[in-house]
Amino acid sequence: MGMDDVVAMDAVSKVYGKGRSAVAALREVTIGLPRGRFTAVMGPSGSGKSTFLHCAAGLDTPTSGSVRLGDTELSRLNETRLTELRRRRVGFVFQAFNLVPSLTVEQNITLPLRLSRTRVDRARLREIVERVGLAERIGHRPAQLSGGQQQRVAIARALVTRPEVVFGDEPTGALDTMTAREVLSLLRETVDGMGQTVVMVTHDPVAASYADTVLFLADGRIADAMDAPTSEKVAARMTRLGAWNR
Amino acid sequence: MIGLVLSTLRHRKAGFAGAFLALFCAAALVCACGILLDTGLRGTIAPERYAGAPVLVTGDQYVHQDKIKKHKVKHKAKALAERAWLPVATADRLRGVPGVRSVVTEVTFPAEVPGATPGSSWGHGWESAALTPFTFAAGRAPSAAGEVVVDAATARTAHLRVGSRLPVSSPIATGAYRVVGVTREALPHQAAVFFSTGEARRLAGRPGAVSAIGVFPAAGESGTSTVAKSVTAAVRGTTATVHTGGDRGRTEFWDAEKARIKLISMGGALGGTALLVAILVVAGTFALSIQQRQREIALLRAVAATPRQIRRMIGREALIVSVGAGALGAAVGPLLGLWLRDRFRALGALPPTLNLVISPFPLFAAVLAAVVAAWAAARLSARRSARIRPVEALGEAALSGPRTGAARILAGLACLAGGVVLTLVLSSLNTEAASSPVTMLTAIVWTVAVALLAPIVARTAAALWGTLLRLSPVGGHLAAANLRTRSRIVGSVIAPLTLMVGLTGTILFAQTTMGHAATAQADAGTVADHVLGPKVPAAAAAALRHTDGVTTVTEVLHSTVRVGLANYGVQGVTPAGLSRTMNLDVRSGSLNGLDAGTIAVSGTAADRLGVHVGDTIRMTLGDGTPFAPRVIAVYGRGLGFGDLTVAHDLLAAHVDDPRADTVLVAGPAGADALRSAVRHYPAVTVLDQATLSKDRAAAGAEVNYVAMGLIIAFTAIAVVNTLAMATADRARELALLRLVGTTRRQVMRMLRWETLAVVATAVVLGTAVTLITLTALATGMIGSAAPYVPPVPYLAVIGGAAALAVLATVLPARLALATRPADLIGSRA
Repeated sequence: MGMDDVVAMDAVSKVYGKGRSAVAALREVTIGLPRGRFTAVMGPSGSGKSTFLHCAAGLDTPTSGSVRLGDTELSRLNETRLTELRRRRVGFVFQAFNLVPSLTVEQNITLPLRLSRTRVDRARLREIVERVGLAERIGHRPAQLSGGQQQRVAIARALVTRPEVVFGDEPTGALDTMTAREVLSLLRETVDGMGQTVVMVTHDPVAASYADTVLFLADGRIADAMDAPTSEKVAARMTRLGAWNR
Repeated sequence: MIGLVLSTLRHRKAGFAGAFLALFCAAALVCACGILLDTGLRGTIAPERYAGAPVLVTGDQYVHQDKIKKHKVKHKAKALAERAWLPVATADRLRGVPGVRSVVTEVTFPAEVPGATPGSSWGHGWESAALTPFTFAAGRAPSAAGEVVVDAATARTAHLRVGSRLPVSSPIATGAYRVVGVTREALPHQAAVFFSTGEARRLAGRPGAVSAIGVFPAAGESGTSTVAKSVTAAVRGTTATVHTGGDRGRTEFWDAEKARIKLISMGGALGGTALLVAILVVAGTFALSIQQRQREIALLRAVAATPRQIRRMIGREALIVSVGAGALGAAVGPLLGLWLRDRFRALGALPPTLNLVISPFPLFAAVLAAVVAAWAAARLSARRSARIRPVEALGEAALSGPRTGAARILAGLACLAGGVVLTLVLSSLNTEAASSPVTMLTAIVWTVAVALLAPIVARTAAALWGTLLRLSPVGGHLAAANLRTRSRIVGSVIAPLTLMVGLTGTILFAQTTMGHAATAQADAGTVADHVLGPKVPAAAAAALRHTDGVTTVTEVLHSTVRVGLANYGVQGVTPAGLSRTMNLDVRSGSLNGLDAGTIAVSGTAADRLGVHVGDTIRMTLGDGTPFAPRVIAVYGRGLGFGDLTVAHDLLAAHVDDPRADTVLVAGPAGADALRSAVRHYPAVTVLDQATLSKDRAAAGAEVNYVAMGLIIAFTAIAVVNTLAMATADRARELALLRLVGTTRRQVMRMLRWETLAVVATAVVLGTAVTLITLTALATGMIGSAAPYVPPVPYLAVIGGAAALAVLATVLPARLALATRPADLIGSRA
């Protein structure tokens, strides 16, 4: 575990249910997610990749083990402290339903600032909006945007607080190939151009190929890691993991 | 934050429309009830007849009792049923009081003349004309017994002038009088007929007593307060009471004063019920709207809102919606109040002399009630919404399954326990004043228990109806699946439906239960061959007695007496030959000795008073006269005939209108012979069995129906509201069903099956609430655990609930299905 890890997980386990019906989603996972890098987490269904993301992001608390975000130990925080930490130091892009339908694009982007009563830095907002290519759509409502545009709003919202890490949960899962490529390029750019740290869960080898590193999860454990991935290599590795046979 | 709240409100208009409507109705209802209550508390009744007398002295219209509670003496006073008269000697005493110019005595008695409204036409002696004052437009004062003076309005409507002949019907006698004078003045709410002093005293039938004394200060109006003080000092120790200003109106219109006191309890009970129902309904609507926004709330939680911020957001939404709805409701409330006033006036429950008080208080109370109801509802729903886990925003997967909170289940169980306690309490209450509010409260508490346990109820119902529904291969099958998986939403629909069925049932069938028992007793106990009524003068009864073929004539008169402070209905009956006309089902003792010093008591009253045959009961008759008769019999048919029975002549001497309410006739004489005997009294008719039963059952019921009908209408609106909200939210789901090949007909059939299962569940629960409550009521009031639920109204209640529910589901579903399914599924946000 390097000193320059944004997120450090140490022997993290997550068990759902109790007694005989208990299911272990994560088993003793120890990993560091390095700063300024794009990490993809892959794995077959039920491998625990969503649980991994939830625990890493402070959306869910592990059954045992420790999760650190920078200097902060997450397992000691209550729900309100976790929320405050999320809105200052973490950004999220979900698969769908990322936006509040009653708010405009600008209001959606500045929502975390508004909830933490932070003043909106207009210059920063303009920069982000231009970077995600939504300068002309700032007053629109989510229903007036395409799926790709909505995801770009979500990325802008995730970036607006200058978070230490942006988590994506299948951010391209509901998009067509072309649009997905645009969104992935945008995420890649935030890492290269802004030095942002991105952690993304996906099941798509093409999406994973945009990352610097791919972690492979199987049965609640980290089975493998791959630097400089290509979609072919990732697909081949997934096949060997035994779940890529569709 | 407030910006977020406002945009949410703007964007989700439809979701909040439901809550708005519910709050609006609640505010309007509370406002109307508040106006009734305010009128009861502060309503003034302007004096008419006594407007010219600065100081008015009358008998004490209250029964007083001092209750000693923990060293504190609490004085309690309860209103008498009839007018209390004063001994004429009081007037003599007042004549000597310093500062008094003159003292005028008054007698008042019913004197019906053609053209005047029955019950608001009064006879007086001309010597008391100064109390108004009345002056002559034409003619002179009556001096002989056969002469009268009439007021200007009566003269106009009956086309009377000096010299006309006027038939006057009063309790003592009916006869023709010669009009010798017409006054310049007329009174707004009553007709006045003036007799000569001697004739007036004779017709009033109370020798040595006067109904009021007017005192005129020597210094004119300005000397009123000084003289009032001296007069009060002069009558200290007697039953006389002194009135000045607006207070005189209350004394003059004793009926209005009694109605005013009744309005306080009715306005309070109605307003309280409305408020409870409002909180229940609004909480349901809010919970539903928050459930529908679960994903949005989860997203807010994930991107940065603390549970506290979510609670605050929901609280502010509720505040804004409730202030708007409350203000609008408060604006409509007075109109509803006026409508209620008109209905009550038409039913005779509110005298025209008592004017509605419309002040800002009920308006503020309405807004406050809306805000409080919304706040309570938002608090309840926000508890749950803050528990929504942020993880639920992730992915397209279905939201986590329903988990019913432990607190909710505990609260539900507590309400069940409360329901049991209230039911037990209710089954031991045997006075109407105590049982009617408790009846409503019991029904509401049971319904709240159902509402709290609704998710569990819904799951149970889904399991029960599932097997049945799956008999229908497509619609029924889908419906069964939906009922199982959407149990939380189904529960929030079952709750208001149960409330509607339960409350409607309780309100309607409490009346029928009580009415049926009373009617059955009255029908069984009336063994006479004919019944005549209403308002039969003594002379008419005498004429009947002298008719061939009549063996017994029983005059029946009703009033109310107070034993201590408690009210008891009393009937006065002619003792001679009573067994041939009336069978009271005597359990012990005998009615043979019924006279001016004895009384018969119903079994329930005997239990309550703890008396047996031979004991003495101390009571206060309707006009304030103390009476201590000996119990000679205990009888079974108290509900049908009244709790107490005394001799007719005794009671007739202590009521405002001594004419018999009904006259029971036994003997072989035919109805035609009886009709001919009373031909001089056109108002008196031979009543048939059907009218008699109807009159008995209807007494007092309509007022309740009008008032409680508003609450039923309110719950009906809530039902439509909730169902429409729940269905409109399913547009996407219905579109999906259409896309996978379900025909529109099949979708509609599925919805109908679902709704029917929900209605059936609510009907079962609502009926259970009704039956439990009414069984307790019947046990306490009638003494037998037998609620009476007539099948036709019951089926109408069920049919109404089902029709409302189906309509509120089918219409929004049609709207939802009108959009092209692909468009709906395609839209993302």
